[in-house]
Amino acid sequence: MASAPPRRFRFGRSEVEARPGDTILAALARRGWPSLARSIRYHRPRGPVCGVGNCTGCLVRVNGVPNVRSCRRPARDGDVVRSENSWPSPRFDLFGALDLLLPNGVDTLHGLRRPAWAAPLYQGFGRRLAGFGRVPDRSPDVPARGSRSRTTEVTVVGGGRSGRAVTEALVRSGEHPLLLERRSTTDPDGPGPALTPGAELLPGTTATFLDPPRPGEGSGFTLLAIDDDAQGVLVRTRTVILATGAYDGSLVFEGSDRPGVITADLALSGAGLPLGESVVVGGGARARAVLDRLGPGVTAVVAFGEIVPEVVRAAADLQIPLYPRSRVVRSVGHAHVRALELARRDGGGTFRLPCRTVVLAHRRLPNAQLAFQGGARRRWIDVPGAYYPEVDGLGRTSVPGIWAVGSAATPSGRAGPAAEQVVAAVLDPGTPAPPPAPGPPSELVPYYRELLDEPRHGKWVVCPCEDVLLGELEAAVARGYRGIELVMRYTGVGTGLCQGRYCLPEAIVLLSILEGRAPAEGGFVTQRPPLVPTSLGALAALREELLPEAGT
Amino acid sequence: MTLARTDYRAVVVGAGILGLYTAYHLARAGERRLLVVDRGRLSAGGSGRNGGGIRQQWETRSTIRLAREAVAAYRRFGREFGHNVWFRQGGYLFLAGTPEELQRLARVRDAGRSEGLPVRLVGTDEVERLVDGIVPGACVGGCYLASDGTLYPYPAVWGLYEAVVALGVEVALGVEALGVRRDDRGKLAEVLTSSGGVSSPTVVNAAGGWSGEFSRRCGLDVPNVATRHDILATEPVKPFLDPMVVRVSDGLYFSQSMRGELVGGLSVSHPPGTQAGVPSSPRFVTAMASALVGLLPRLAGLGVLRAWAGFYDDTPDGFPMIGEDPRLPGFVHANGFGGHGFMLAPSASRRVASSVLNEPVDLDPREFSPARFLGPGAAPSSERLQLG
Repeated sequence: MASAPPRRFRFGRSEVEARPGDTILAALARRGWPSLARSIRYHRPRGPVCGVGNCTGCLVRVNGVPNVRSCRRPARDGDVVRSENSWPSPRFDLFGALDLLLPNGVDTLHGLRRPAWAAPLYQGFGRRLAGFGRVPDRSPDVPARGSRSRTTEVTVVGGGRSGRAVTEALVRSGEHPLLLERRSTTDPDGPGPALTPGAELLPGTTATFLDPPRPGEGSGFTLLAIDDDAQGVLVRTRTVILATGAYDGSLVFEGSDRPGVITADLALSGAGLPLGESVVVGGGARARAVLDRLGPGVTAVVAFGEIVPEVVRAAADLQIPLYPRSRVVRSVGHAHVRALELARRDGGGTFRLPCRTVVLAHRRLPNAQLAFQGGARRRWIDVPGAYYPEVDGLGRTSVPGIWAVGSAATPSGRAGPAAEQVVAAVLDPGTPAPPPAPGPPSELVPYYRELLDEPRHGKWVVCPCEDVLLGELEAAVARGYRGIELVMRYTGVGTGLCQGRYCLPEAIVLLSILEGRAPAEGGFVTQRPPLVPTSLGALAALREELLPEAGT
Repeated sequence: MTLARTDYRAVVVGAGILGLYTAYHLARAGERRLLVVDRGRLSAGGSGRNGGGIRQQWETRSTIRLAREAVAAYRRFGREFGHNVWFRQGGYLFLAGTPEELQRLARVRDAGRSEGLPVRLVGTDEVERLVDGIVPGACVGGCYLASDGTLYPYPAVWGLYEAVVALGVEVALGVEALGVRRDDRGKLAEVLTSSGGVSSPTVVNAAGGWSGEFSRRCGLDVPNVATRHDILATEPVKPFLDPMVVRVSDGLYFSQSMRGELVGGLSVSHPPGTQAGVPSSPRFVTAMASALVGLLPRLAGLGVLRAWAGFYDDTPDGFPMIGEDPRLPGFVHANGFGGHGFMLAPSASRRVASSVLNEPVDLDPREFSPARFLGPGAAPSSERLQLG
């Protein structure tokens, strides 16, 4: 690999050199923190948040195709990369004035109705502002692929620790599983799983159920695996074992959407962004991992509750201050964070921690969308504060044939079943399971409750993809709209390009406080296919794969 | 959940656009003790699942009249109900693939013109201008009306819901209508719900995709068939398409919403009567993608965000059923809209309300009366432009 020639791509007017294995984001990050776009409604600055393909902070236009996640897309020689949703550039965006002119946002649902003669003007202006990126110029270049379908007995989704262990155990038991892994073989984050002999690996793919099972039709599943080039493979399988892992959740405060506020996923990924002068939010194992990775780059640790001893020790080694039992008030800065403002614990006023990065490491959420889409029953777990698939002690979900293991099924720090036990039960479904253990109470609910009682100003963006503000959630509840499914339709929260991965967990907790009931009583949303934006071209190419059974 | 009363002036089944609009008209006419029941939450059915198309191009003059009135109502909806539906009149463009289809569209044009609408046939050059990037030779021509358009359906439901509640209408969500009980003379006496029975001289069946089921629960044999239709939305992009585009041959339709998403569907046949809470089907998603990319190749790079499905409430002749069922006095139909209930609701609901109030209804009974399916012989005409 080291002898491979350098690749060059265009970014705006400049030429960027990429090293082998670079994603577009990694290559851009070498020149400093990239400005890639402005937000959809208020044109607020946006930057990379997660680095693992979940968020929408790093979207760019590549070769005429909009909304490509630059943290996933390998940089290729001759690529033409452009920033989106800003003019003339994300750094100096004329429409950014909207954010200043509308400090508390604009109510597009109830406002802008009068006078009658102005309605077409509002509409014309609103339409121009809507949308993220421009429609493709042309159909994308599609790299040639082999067969677009696979048929297999067992499919493992996710090649992290749990997925790999289950795959290896399956092979030892004589199975030939298919392993779908999101990381590509050239991922900067490590090469993904090595190919286990006896298993087939589809690297760089994200899976979605295309045909969720219906009760009484237990004849298997059709999965669509989409790769980083937006090409698809249809997988027909009788058993799906989800080892889709977890991701770091977001936090809502004023300016929580400002570039420089990132999740631990990005800090721990190999995206290569400059992460000096970081404040870490979180006092558990994930914060410890960030301290280990960034070392002297961390300047302080902030937590809602207590900070675990191992983080205290690591902070002592680095000689940095700790702020347990603290509340974040806002991020300070404009196009990039300059400080994090905290409320004083003794009740009086606020103080600022200067920083260039805020790393959110307080809450690890399950990547469980696929399980819910498959129809698995869910249960709310207070720590971290998320829906998990309801699994027994062996990873069995409520849907026969769908299993969930690892951090997609069990909160971090709690023991799940061993791979050998899971595989034994997969191959012999009669195996009895031990009951799950109860967990600790939420720290996030009291944290948000306190926050909702305080006077607020500025924009508290709950949903960064659609710029939905906390006040809009409050207004919906005040008007009598209850439950996340209805509030999603009322406010648009969760309907953006990240498919609600970041805003929905926050919105569910916030709504539960506003509605005065437990989070699980507010319900959940339907996980609609596809779970990741999938190009029309990729879906069209699968038409022939489906034709024999289509009959239309 | 307990209901506020045990006796009502009228019970409306279905808190979708038709039911809420009907309750609104009744309340505005001074009626009190109105109850709307729905077994789901707001926008759970067709009113929250449709593509928001609003058109006035039809084959029959009666439907055109209803549609014109509906367009006027949606234009003033924001001012009347305090919620913006963002009704954007970007036009509706029907595409003909063959000279025969173009002939059919010529009849649509003639029907529209006879009602004073400037519907016109357009050539391929104009089609290419209206739909930037369409494959040359994709059609032989089309039919276009600039004042048709699309809206954002949810706020219409919120606006009506809040308006009827403010007018004193009781809206009971999560309450299912189970059937009715007749009195000794065979007239409607009681509506049975999951929260108990209530006496009422009138029940309005505005249950959308479930209306056939409710009628049959009440002992009425009706021809309504719930037909599953899928729809998808892409990621939001800057405006590139003004009209709603509908292809006559296969019912492919798509438009760009005010949010920038491309929203559309296709007539893919599914077994009738498929269950509610329907997941979208792989054959729809791939067939739709294939049709779209075939017509506009550059869309190949556009990502699909989500796909879902809902029900059309179809009747044999394509006309809705509006008015009292002669077999059960007091039972008023407001259903059978075949996927076009949202676009006709403001005006159709007015006739439903008139029927409840025993006022004259200015609709041809041969086209809209529920009685037309009872006697021998078919309806004199049919509305066959059941597309988009």
